[in-house]
Amino acid sequence: MHKHFPVNCIVPPHMLEDIATNGTAAQKVLAINTLKASAQMVGKRRALSDFTGAALRVAVGGKERIIYDAKNGSSLPGTQVRKEGDPPSTDVAVNEAYDGSGATYDLFKEFYQRNSIDNNGMRLDSTVHYQKGYDNAFWDGEQMVYGDGDENLPINERLFNRFTIAIDVIGHELTHGVTQYEAKLTYSQQPGALNESMSDVFGSLVKQYTLGQTADQADWIIGAGLLTSNVNGVGIRSMKAPGTAYDDPVLGKDPQPAHMKDYVNTVSDNGGVHINSGIPNHAFYVAALEIGGNAWLKAGQIWYVTLRDKLTSSSKFQDCANLTYQTAGELFGTGSLEQQAVKNGWAAVGLGVEGGNGEPTEPGDGCFTSLLRAIGAAPAK
Amino acid sequence: MKVERIQFERTGGFAGIRFAADFKPEDLPDEQSKELFDLLDDLDFNELPEQMMDENTPDSFTYSITVKTKRKSHTVVTGDASAPEKMQELLQLLNRIARNQMRKQ
Ligand SMILES: [Zn+2]
Ligand SMILES: [Zn+2]
Repeated sequence: MHKHFPVNCIVPPHMLEDIATNGTAAQKVLAINTLKASAQMVGKRRALSDFTGAALRVAVGGKERIIYDAKNGSSLPGTQVRKEGDPPSTDVAVNEAYDGSGATYDLFKEFYQRNSIDNNGMRLDSTVHYQKGYDNAFWDGEQMVYGDGDENLPINERLFNRFTIAIDVIGHELTHGVTQYEAKLTYSQQPGALNESMSDVFGSLVKQYTLGQTADQADWIIGAGLLTSNVNGVGIRSMKAPGTAYDDPVLGKDPQPAHMKDYVNTVSDNGGVHINSGIPNHAFYVAALEIGGNAWLKAGQIWYVTLRDKLTSSSKFQDCANLTYQTAGELFGTGSLEQQAVKNGWAAVGLGVEGGNGEPTEPGDGCFTSLLRAIGAAPAK
Repeated sequence: MKVERIQFERTGGFAGIRFAADFKPEDLPDEQSKELFDLLDDLDFNELPEQMMDENTPDSFTYSITVKTKRKSHTVVTGDASAPEKMQELLQLLNRIARNQMRKQ
């Protein structure tokens, strides 16, 4: 067992940058020194001047939201109806878009030290009431767009409610923006399904965070409340049991696989990005449940750092398995409970992890923990 | 040129649920088939490019519309953000027809 000193660890540089940017004066100095030392040792993604600059720069811009109303048309963004700090509207969809994007911003800021979609305070724009009878929501590369479901049909024929009704849908769309700025996962085949899965993961975490739920309390349903009572289903997807969210005469059956052996090869839906996302979704669920507690704290952190620093546009499921495992080791220690949980999560969907195995350290004694201890942010042993 | 058959498919979207219709316009109610032919005329459908899909819009729908006459078959693939206003109207009409077909099955 080697003695843990932060400088000798392969600490994710962004972790240190966060401390360098947000920590106390003493923490900043330590973090910057560690960054410099580790940069010389292991190489890095960013120029040194970048993070020292970031540390000195005064943080500008916080949460800034604007909600627009498309008034059932299709031109974007539409008419501005609520901006940051305005009192609630009489329009429930406007308020849901406002509150949901706010909660998503808060989760990323508070727990992952990310300042909005681009990590540079980008304004969060949302448009509600897009088109008539539009049973969908999407990210158009710059903003979130929400339809009202089948509001134009007779009540007994409606399948979908308004898409802002489910806060995880909002977190899902906003996370597409984060992915666009980070891993840039190509929206097709396995990279596309990973892109989708990341959106489901953080969408679900936003919901769990607003409800204050632990992993075992959460329903792990994506889009609960979205389907009307005319549909036999509890939501659009289930991370806990992919393939079981709905089974309905009109909509058909939830097609998601929960295991690599059931991977769906198809050309539609960009190669089944909303179908095969069930596999990485379930891996996350298993890992989060095994780690326990609030899923956004540890499992979410592991997935976030992997999305931000490690995945690339062409990453596949196996890459994500290996890299989340590696990240878990870096954050929580090789052989830690957290790293083991990540391994078990991927094993549950038929993927063994490769690499990242080193000498085991005592559980929970990862580099990040050691660093926190060194700068006095975690109790000494 | 008489339209003999129309095939429509909507895939992707947040829910990833496929909507599809395959029908002869003559089987539609008169009112609906008139609306449909008017829209196809207004759009000059046969002259539309085959690929009108937008890039980089996660969760938007992908629509495929095939219009068949005796001599010719023309397919257009489009997305939400990329479709012009008239096309949006056509997509909404085809969606309604697809929903009716799915309900009857
Ligand atoms: Zn170490
Ligand atoms: Zn999505």
